[in-house]
Amino acid sequence: MADRITLKRILRLWGISARLDLAWLLRDTKYAIAGICADIISNLSTVSGVFLIAARFGGIGGMSADEVLFMMAYSTLVTGIFILFGSGNNIHISRIIGRGQLEHLFIQPLPLGVQLLTSGFAPFTGGSNCVAGVVLMAVAVSRLGLAVTFGWVVSLIAYLLATMTIIAARSYLLSTLAFYAPAAAEEISWTAIDGTWFMSTFPLSGMPLFIQIPLLTVLPEGLMAWFPSLSLLGRPPLGLTGAYPMVFALLIAAAAGYIFRKGLKHYVTKGSNRYVPYGFRR
Amino acid sequence: MSRKGQTAMFPTDSAVSLRGVTKTFEQWQRDNTGKGLLKNLLKPEKRVVTALDDVSFEIGRGEFAAYAGPNGAGKSTTMKLLAGMLLPSSGEISALGLSPQKRRRALMRRLGVLFGNRTELWWDHPVIQSFAWKKAVWDIPDGQYRENLAMVTELLDLGDLLKTFARELSLGQRMRADLAMLLLHSPELILLDEPTLGLDVVAKRQMIRFLRQLNEREGTTIVVTSHDMDDLEEMARRILLISHGKIAFDGDFAALREELGCTKTAIVHFQDGTRREIAYQETKRVLREIAELDGVADVRFTQTSLEEGLANLFARWKERGR
Repeated sequence: MADRITLKRILRLWGISARLDLAWLLRDTKYAIAGICADIISNLSTVSGVFLIAARFGGIGGMSADEVLFMMAYSTLVTGIFILFGSGNNIHISRIIGRGQLEHLFIQPLPLGVQLLTSGFAPFTGGSNCVAGVVLMAVAVSRLGLAVTFGWVVSLIAYLLATMTIIAARSYLLSTLAFYAPAAAEEISWTAIDGTWFMSTFPLSGMPLFIQIPLLTVLPEGLMAWFPSLSLLGRPPLGLTGAYPMVFALLIAAAAGYIFRKGLKHYVTKGSNRYVPYGFRR
Repeated sequence: MSRKGQTAMFPTDSAVSLRGVTKTFEQWQRDNTGKGLLKNLLKPEKRVVTALDDVSFEIGRGEFAAYAGPNGAGKSTTMKLLAGMLLPSSGEISALGLSPQKRRRALMRRLGVLFGNRTELWWDHPVIQSFAWKKAVWDIPDGQYRENLAMVTELLDLGDLLKTFARELSLGQRMRADLAMLLLHSPELILLDEPTLGLDVVAKRQMIRFLRQLNEREGTTIVVTSHDMDDLEEMARRILLISHGKIAFDGDFAALREELGCTKTAIVHFQDGTRREIAYQETKRVLREIAELDGVADVRFTQTSLEEGLANLFARWKERGR
């Protein structure tokens, strides 16, 4: 049996996650369709609210209505990718740690990183927001008359990767607390991700600096959609380089990796006296 | 042997080897008074619990060993250390010649572990779907998977269970499915923590029969913990008793009975309604003695159960604070 982790192996692991997801969807299709529709409606209503305000007032804080639509499309894509790859509590990692369920991962002959990367892949139940994001993006790009070059698409992918890295790193950073206080911090990743998610769809252009700067550093909601969107439109805000989200992503990922490993060491040294038998596999 | 020499010999070729393993945990302490609550905020009180205290033992390849002891004795801790889920405070551990802490991935390809109160099955999927997941994650070759699937389906009588959703299985069925899933990658060493927990008599018998067959036919090394001594005696040939983090007994069940002072008694009922109890060691001798008695109406043979003997022993250990 091969022990090397190759791209083929990762694709096979994504494949089995996709099969399980499809099987789950087909288990009870009417509830699954209801769930998918609810996800799309909930996400589109979040972004359409901001877009309708922008349309009514001819833009928000220096961003035109179509630019706001572009930002909403980016935000929907981010949400879609998050649900697509993070449907197994693999990004909401504090739940796995707090419930004492890491031991289910330890007994698999795979590196933890590979397990976490592949276990939450849900293309069938989690792909709808991604599709909605792509459609919205196509509409926004068309209305803005943007020239979609190969370089621009690569930039879009790079910004999406940076945003996803920031979301995951922030979750892992805070989730480390669950190693030390499993019951109290079980849901802290939810607070880290979903707790401030609505702020990420709000255009920060026109806001005073004392609001913009914290939202690009301490609480990086501005990097979820606003900063990357303006960078993709060719005018990164605050005179910063367009590479700022990538740099921030690298720094926060390095910090999260270091701190998470320390927490993991604590876990295997001290053990967990808590075990909850649900939620790690659906 | 010098300590340096011991290290050079490690890891051994045994299926399981622990050498001078100590594992301590910290437990939070707090009383229910206002002062206690305040003290907990400023300087939490912690108590060090020694789960394993300089434990050393080896289990050879192909052995079926029982690992028993009272609650909190350190059984599950040992299992978790062997499965690479915990780091020891000190000492050396090897399973199949590999360090569980340093070679976790390589070891997990050859080791199977099952905790009776946990499941590896996917809750909202049929059992066969969980098996397919295991095949992909463990990268089990098609031929080996098919062969093992056929074997476990037959021996564990899975039949219709394969298509049943895990959440709809009874506890006994779930344990059988979990055990089957554990065996799909042909583990050389199996660690079972309370596998008969909560099972009814039929399910228990089925599980015990299967584990014995697996050990005898395939030569799989099995280490099993349980509180049920009768189950353990039926399954295993060797028993390690752990108490307060130390190995208190290591030998076969006959030696354990002797150690515990388990007595055998023949109760002879006479035709006149009287009875006589004869304590004995050798069955042949007591049968001869009974044959020479006049007016025997009935004979019943009893022996102190291991359970009873151990309960007395654990109580004595508790009294002595051992």
